Amino acid sequence: MVFLTFIRSALNQGPDKYWRIQQQLRFSWHFYGRKRNCYKIGMRYVFKALRYGVSGRKDKLKNMRELWYRRINAGSEEHGLEGKMFLEGLARSEIQLDRKILSSLAIYEPRTFKSLCEVSKNTLKEHNLPFHEKHINSRQNLLKDLINNEKSVEI
Amino acid sequence: MAHYRVQQWSTFARTWWLFDARWQCPWISARTIIPYLQGTKKPIYHPLSDTGDHVIVINTRLIAMKNERWITFKHIHDSRYRPKGVIEKRAWQIHAEEPTKIFEKAVYYSMDKNLLRRNLMARLHLFPDESVPEDLLKNVSDCIRQPMLAPKRLDEYTEEDRRNFPKLFDWPKDFVLDDGFRTKKQIEFQEP
Repeated sequence: MVFLTFIRSALNQGPDKYWRIQQQLRFSWHFYGRKRNCYKIGMRYVFKALRYGVSGRKDKLKNMRELWYRRINAGSEEHGLEGKMFLEGLARSEIQLDRKILSSLAIYEPRTFKSLCEVSKNTLKEHNLPFHEKHINSRQNLLKDLINNEKSVEI
Repeated sequence: MAHYRVQQWSTFARTWWLFDARWQCPWISARTIIPYLQGTKKPIYHPLSDTGDHVIVINTRLIAMKNERWITFKHIHDSRYRPKGVIEKRAWQIHAEEPTKIFEKAVYYSMDKNLLRRNLMARLHLFPDESVPEDLLKNVSDCIRQPMLAPKRLDEYTEEDRRNFPKLFDWPKDFVLDDGFRTKKQIEFQEP
């Protein structure tokens, strides 16, 4: 706003006092004590809460990203591939899928996720990248005597 | 997608795993077991949802440790009663009394320090021998792979294998063999 004279700027005191207070009360309705209803006391706590909101948005994405990666790692280890190399194999084969999408594929569409694992394995082999193919859990010879009765197996 | 609802049931089921602790380090094998208890091996994992599995561990009496870890490692219990409230016990001392104790503590301490920890430990079933009750063994569907390769003892080799093992020369009868434990200074002193 441009004020051509000094008088105009002195007259302009910002928004109406009533609406300014109402705006703050909308943010402080869930507080406890006098900072909930008093304007001057609640001012500091509202500003701090808004500042936490800004930093919280970054932390939320960081936490979600960690969870997505953990889910992708669990899904790819079922097919004998580490999650780190699985993502590199997809990047080299130019499949541009998010971690968010990949984690949801691992849960709801395991067959498509399996095919993506095979694609990344083949590209890693073409590029001669050393991917540590983890052992899938299988029955050992030591424990055959204990679980030789296959009829007793129940999940 | 209502007709696929039945297929989802097995994803949320608790599977039962079997782990053989024969000739295994308890702290390394704890790291392999914990993801199964915690449920991080499943793609449906979420910290608030309870997705852990059961694990049965057998042969905890036959766990292995490093050089002198049986003597040096000790568990400390402090009851906060000052005159003789602290109890220190060596690993071999505890293992003689309770053969499942060291494996249990190794898993308990290397787990994340949450309120969930006690509930996850309830799903770990420890047995000193191979004798497991059949009610538990019925549920087992698969076994966890051992992290360490169990070496073969010298007693288990036959005499023919020992004779045929390639060697350049025979030791003289008066020669004293080293037990292989050397400090860094001794190795530096000998090698250059």
